[in-house]
Amino acid sequence: MTKRKKTHTPEEDIQLLEAHLAGTLKPVTPSREVIQRLRGRIQMPNREEITLRLTDWRRLFIVFGGVVSGMLLLITLARAFYYLTGRKDMM
Amino acid sequence: MPELEYNEEEILARASQGDRDSFGQLYERYVERIFNYVYYRTGNTHDAEDLTARVFQRAMNHIKNYTDRGVPFSAWLYRIAHNLVANWHRDRSRKQEIPLDDLPILPARGDHPEKNLVRSQEQDALLRMIRKLPSERQNLLILKFVENMSNAEIGSIMGRSEGAVKSLYHRTLLALRDQLEDQNLNLEGE
Repeated sequence: MTKRKKTHTPEEDIQLLEAHLAGTLKPVTPSREVIQRLRGRIQMPNREEITLRLTDWRRLFIVFGGVVSGMLLLITLARAFYYLTGRKDMM
Repeated sequence: MPELEYNEEEILARASQGDRDSFGQLYERYVERIFNYVYYRTGNTHDAEDLTARVFQRAMNHIKNYTDRGVPFSAWLYRIAHNLVANWHRDRSRKQEIPLDDLPILPARGDHPEKNLVRSQEQDALLRMIRKLPSERQNLLILKFVENMSNAEIGSIMGRSEGAVKSLYHRTLLALRDQLEDQNLNLEGE
């Protein structure tokens, strides 16, 4: 690019500009590491996905129900065990 | 390539049902193109990598909502990329702009690496001018020259008719030519 001297017609200017744009805006090739790093990143669940899972109320309800049921079962078993061992001691 | 297009439909259908391998195939096909687009819009590899990852993460999270309404999948990806780049520019508008000299030189396809080491002043000046253009015009030039797309393809991405793209392209060239004249610069033949 040099200081302007008007030597081209407007059409030639446009053609020249297009040629220079084609020479400047060339496709680039990212390195293999970049591609692999990107691949690794998209395979991991990201924050949005985790938030989405937490806002899935049906799944949350099942998980919550499962935890409560499990706890109730454990308490019942513990009480039964305590009752049985307590009776044994009394005898 | 009708066979490939047909395959892409199948791949898309599987990917939208949560098949990660199919999404991986789409990723392999489009990652370089999206990276190129983001690279030229941001001007640095670090942000290009970060934003490209976000484009595919977003695409993966929303692919079940993707419906083919005559808009190709690539156009859908470019729109995601365009939105993320626009947000990136908005976030950075208050901060200092990265000097173009910091722009790392990546090897262009089909070029000898040595050729890329010496980026001419002409290209620097032209890139600087392109980056000062309105976002829509930058998109147009990148899609046309970097991605080698036709006006119709660009139209489907930008949501404009082929004629509107042609007209915008012409106005963009005139604007760039005027800027060159304003700066008293002359492009020389290659």
